[in-house]
Amino acid sequence: MVSASSLALRQQFNNPAQQRETVTLGMWIFLATEVMLFGALFTAYSVYRIYYTPAFTHASGEMEYWMGAVNTAVLICSSFTMALGVHSAEAGKKRLTVLFLLLTMLIGCIFLGIKFWEHYRHYLDHKVPGINFQEAGALGPREQMFFFLYFAMTGLHAFHMLVGLGVLSVMVLRVVFGSISREYHTPIEIAGLYWHFVDVIWVVLFAIFYIPGAHLR
Amino acid sequence: MSEHRPTVKTYALTWGILLALTLLTSLIGLVDLGPFSLAVGVVIALIKASLIAIFFMHALYGSKLIRVVAAGGVAWFLILLGITLADYLTRNWYPFAQR
Repeated sequence: MVSASSLALRQQFNNPAQQRETVTLGMWIFLATEVMLFGALFTAYSVYRIYYTPAFTHASGEMEYWMGAVNTAVLICSSFTMALGVHSAEAGKKRLTVLFLLLTMLIGCIFLGIKFWEHYRHYLDHKVPGINFQEAGALGPREQMFFFLYFAMTGLHAFHMLVGLGVLSVMVLRVVFGSISREYHTPIEIAGLYWHFVDVIWVVLFAIFYIPGAHLR
Repeated sequence: MSEHRPTVKTYALTWGILLALTLLTSLIGLVDLGPFSLAVGVVIALIKASLIAIFFMHALYGSKLIRVVAAGGVAWFLILLGITLADYLTRNWYPFAQR
């Protein structure tokens, strides 16, 4: 009888520990490339923020500040449930793992809901570059750059959230249908790394887009 | 799998600190700190990001190789940012180099 854990060990690895280490390392390398992807946008933000400081501070005052702050707390909660999900998987508690993964997905959906509502309100305010951006005054074009970066970066982040939800859905199915066990739970850990990374990006996005002009509200 | 891992208590404590820092940074944001608003926000964000990386992502619980890759990701971003800003910030240093 071949157990699930021996099936999970691919032939190129000597033992489960080596496989786990390799897979985890691979994920960290992928996350480093994600840092480069978002890094280019963070660099663009830095350059324009330095050149257009007054416009960026003013435009930042038009953010939905408390929605952003609540969303930060929401995403941190989802990271906590994700960590508990990984912890349960390590302990071999399948039902608890599924519960925490579903909870993480639910909180992730709440984040996306608030985010979508926020984007919609900016749309109603005529703040979407390329679609309906309107801003009177000399700083208008520079504020448009702020909103362009805002939509590009929060949009890319929201896309990562959607991918994360997809990954977690697959993980739930894998736990339910048995390819994840106490001996082999690396995929849950890897999915967790991705989810936490997306959380890290949002924490920084909140700081650079919402905070600089919050006192102007 | 004998390696050391955070306990549920550690996760809960990290979660609590992250929420407290979120509240703190949201309230500090309401105060006009002039040019320091962004700086203070980013510093708190980096503390939060480090807590997530260390305790939720087990960055310091894994092998040294993983730490090197994680640090490498940050280092390469700083190279991108540093060299780009070295260009943009110094363009007006000389009158003949006006944009």
